[in-house]
Amino acid sequence: MVRIDKHPVLEFKRGKKIRFTFDGKELEGYEGESIAAALHAAGIKVLTHSHELKRPRGFYCAIGNCGQCIMEVNGVSNVRTCIEPLKEGMAVKTQEGKGGIL
Amino acid sequence: MIKIADVVIVGGGISGVAIAYNLAKKGVKNVAVIEKSYLASGATGRCGAGIRQQWGTKMNCKMAKFSCEFFENAKEELKYEGDIEFKQGGYLILSSTEKEHEQFKKNIVLQNSLGIPSRLLTLEEAKEIVPFLNTDGLVSATFCQKDGHLNPFHTTEAFAKAAERLGVEIYRYTEVKDIIIEHGKVKGIRTDKGDISTNIVVNAAGGHAQVVAKMAGVDIPVYSERHQILVTEAIEPILDPMVMSFSLNLYCQQVPHGGLIMGRGDEGEPRDLRVTAGWHFLEEMAKTITSLLPPLKNVRMIRQWAGLYNITPDRQPILGALNEVEGLYLAVGFSGHGFMFGPATGVLIAESILGEETTLPIDMLNMNRFEKGQLIFEPSVV
Repeated sequence: MVRIDKHPVLEFKRGKKIRFTFDGKELEGYEGESIAAALHAAGIKVLTHSHELKRPRGFYCAIGNCGQCIMEVNGVSNVRTCIEPLKEGMAVKTQEGKGGIL
Repeated sequence: MIKIADVVIVGGGISGVAIAYNLAKKGVKNVAVIEKSYLASGATGRCGAGIRQQWGTKMNCKMAKFSCEFFENAKEELKYEGDIEFKQGGYLILSSTEKEHEQFKKNIVLQNSLGIPSRLLTLEEAKEIVPFLNTDGLVSATFCQKDGHLNPFHTTEAFAKAAERLGVEIYRYTEVKDIIIEHGKVKGIRTDKGDISTNIVVNAAGGHAQVVAKMAGVDIPVYSERHQILVTEAIEPILDPMVMSFSLNLYCQQVPHGGLIMGRGDEGEPRDLRVTAGWHFLEEMAKTITSLLPPLKNVRMIRQWAGLYNITPDRQPILGALNEVEGLYLAVGFSGHGFMFGPATGVLIAESILGEETTLPIDMLNMNRFEKGQLIFEPSVV
């Protein structure tokens, strides 16, 4: 997967390179970018599955509206990874089911 | 559009389609339902989707029990291919004062005497049902396992399809403009798609009941008040019953899809038929519900909406014929619980139109109770 370095309108200020895990596998990303962006750069396209038919769901609205990127992050379910900044050592997991709050 | 009908029903919510279904089932051939938008677009589709039998007046208890028993067999009776999402997770109703606790004791005696299996619970017992319930400031609770959830859209659709199979004509996106009265008798109805001659009109217009009554030159003692609801994202099941409090003025239940639907009443709500959503509700709802059910702090809300309670002075519906205008029937003023009473409303109004003895006595719900001053106040309304 290619990261965009130059863009006619947007500027990318990247944080330092950090490590996080996706389903236990260690990956690298940049601090402060969205979790979904870091996953996308690592070639991970399936972020969650639809509730009823369990179809794969991926990066879509990228502004925290559509709910197609919800994952379990540090034990918290239903985190919208497209707007959640990446931090050192985060444990990102594919969420099974609708997620709990208890 | 048909030109002549035996009965025209104004309003395509649960009451309207249930009345139409029951009339057709009893053999009435030409029944029309006029709905100005889509079915269940008003109070029915905007309600909290709860059904309960724990009421404080005999009539409300009886109508609720009759309806609940219908829901238990609705899929078979209405031959609906979809899912009406009937779930009997119970209603857990909380008291916050000694006075309310005393009222609950009376309610339980009344409910049990009518065969409703509700019971009074201590707060410890309530916590067995909802372990994360914050009981600070609470006194006791009542619980009825047979209360629960029902999907208003599917239920309305189930009645509507069953009615249409029996020959009922449902006119969607058709607005009633006038009710034609001659010499004190109903003669027909004028809509934006044409006129229908009829001797019988049923006003089942929910939040717009007083507007429709006005078309027949009648003032009915109801007002419509906005009530708001929000729904959260879907999560794994955590809450079986509807949790409700009259003194905290709120209710909350988890629907089968996984979202939590919650609503509350507010003193300052407008009474001008508006159904816009307000931010004040969100703040109050979030504050009160997270105090009562603390884990809900961790669930995100998805959207909010509003609907109209059509409220009578005694919080009981107005059912049956109107003395002032021959041929005009009312199924209005449900005061926030018209959806769950739908099956009873359907049967009772159909029987009353056909001059049959009604399954439940509805004389005390006639509009003339307001002139006579015979009001029986329902104490248990959010």
